[in-house]
Amino acid sequence: MKSISLYVEKGSWLNKLHPYTKLLYILTAIMIPLTGGKLWLFPVMIVSSLVLLLSGRIIKRALPLVGFSFTLIIVIFLIQGLFNHNNETVLFSIGWITFYKEGTLFATRIGCNILNMLLAFGVFVLTTSPQDLVDELEKSGFSPKFGYVINSVFQILPQMMATKDTITDAQRSRGMETEGNLLVRMKAFLPLISPVVMSSLINTRERAIALDVRGFGRKQKKTWLYDRPKCKWDPVARVILIGLMIITIVWRVL
Amino acid sequence: MGKIFKTKLTTATIVLIPACIGINYLGKLFASLLKLPLWLDSIGTCIGACLGGPVIGAICGAANNLIYGLTTGDNITLIYAITSLGIGLVVGILARMGFMKTFPKSFVCALGGGLAAVCISTPLNILFWGGTTGNVWGDALFAATQASGMSVGLGSFLDEIVVDVPDKIITIIIVYLIVKGLPKKLTALYDVNAETERLD
Repeated sequence: MKSISLYVEKGSWLNKLHPYTKLLYILTAIMIPLTGGKLWLFPVMIVSSLVLLLSGRIIKRALPLVGFSFTLIIVIFLIQGLFNHNNETVLFSIGWITFYKEGTLFATRIGCNILNMLLAFGVFVLTTSPQDLVDELEKSGFSPKFGYVINSVFQILPQMMATKDTITDAQRSRGMETEGNLLVRMKAFLPLISPVVMSSLINTRERAIALDVRGFGRKQKKTWLYDRPKCKWDPVARVILIGLMIITIVWRVL
Repeated sequence: MGKIFKTKLTTATIVLIPACIGINYLGKLFASLLKLPLWLDSIGTCIGACLGGPVIGAICGAANNLIYGLTTGDNITLIYAITSLGIGLVVGILARMGFMKTFPKSFVCALGGGLAAVCISTPLNILFWGGTTGNVWGDALFAATQASGMSVGLGSFLDEIVVDVPDKIITIIIVYLIVKGLPKKLTALYDVNAETERLD
């Protein structure tokens, strides 16, 4: 069964790093260009994320992440470049379409921001297993019940996907059309989704009983089977990241 | 008013949350498989809100976006966690006030959810993407309003309304049909007003 998580275990130093350190990196990568206010800070952070992805040997897996944001970036470029309110200076024209400098600059800023965020999140998402993140959250005082919610999503989804395939096949074999004009496709939505939704909601009752029987509601402190090996780079990385953030703020204020 | 926010945090309600998050994902998946011009990614949140109340609805919504944002790398979703939270909250409140009891009344619920989504998403859209939503129809309208010289705020607001309100109306219709069809033994688990009758 295919998991929805993009995590891959490569045994790299990024995998060994504490999830919080990587979350701190996301914060730093997003905050520095936004507080710094200079456009060149975006490429700097984008390149640093790319270097991290390269060193973690996951750059190939990061590409699809970037790929699907391209439509959004292109739309932003078109709309802002053509119609931004501050548009005055003509940048270039293709036929009767004229791109303006102000709008394009604005779009570049937003586009860089999106790319920067995507790559910074990529560093986190591709190197941290959800299980690991939940464990660390619970160790620092996060409610185990909500930890269960997160873990459970990853167990339930593959099950629901399997049910979804079964239902789609069953409905098709009864002659339901899933392709055609918009009305046909709209009408197909309810018979496809409702059996899956119904069965998964009804399953929750059984799951609740099963969990209760196993002492889910107990208030005692939980213990962990797996102890996370400490990584020597964690403190170093955290100090560097926090330092960078402080430097940016100070630089901006001065 | 106290009853509206009353929440039972039992095992049953906690198990409901991941199921609802799964349903959200499924709705989005089917919408893209059938190439529908809607998102339909808040069906689960609304079911959670109708069954568990506004608090569970809000948790479902926020957890949904946070989990997908932090595991599938789709951080565009992450920003809209506040929107999902708002939808869950508003739909939950309206459902507790009885606006999911009959089919015509559920339209009030749909409008409420849709407007909550619009009001929260518009500032986020302007802040992060300069006003676009990423939906073809909405963005075409946004481009038209910008070309005709309307303000970014108004254009983005219209952009959201065109996309979100029909989306929420269809979502609520689906939710209404599904919740009506659920067996009583399941809905009884989430009924806050239920009283245990003793025979002794």
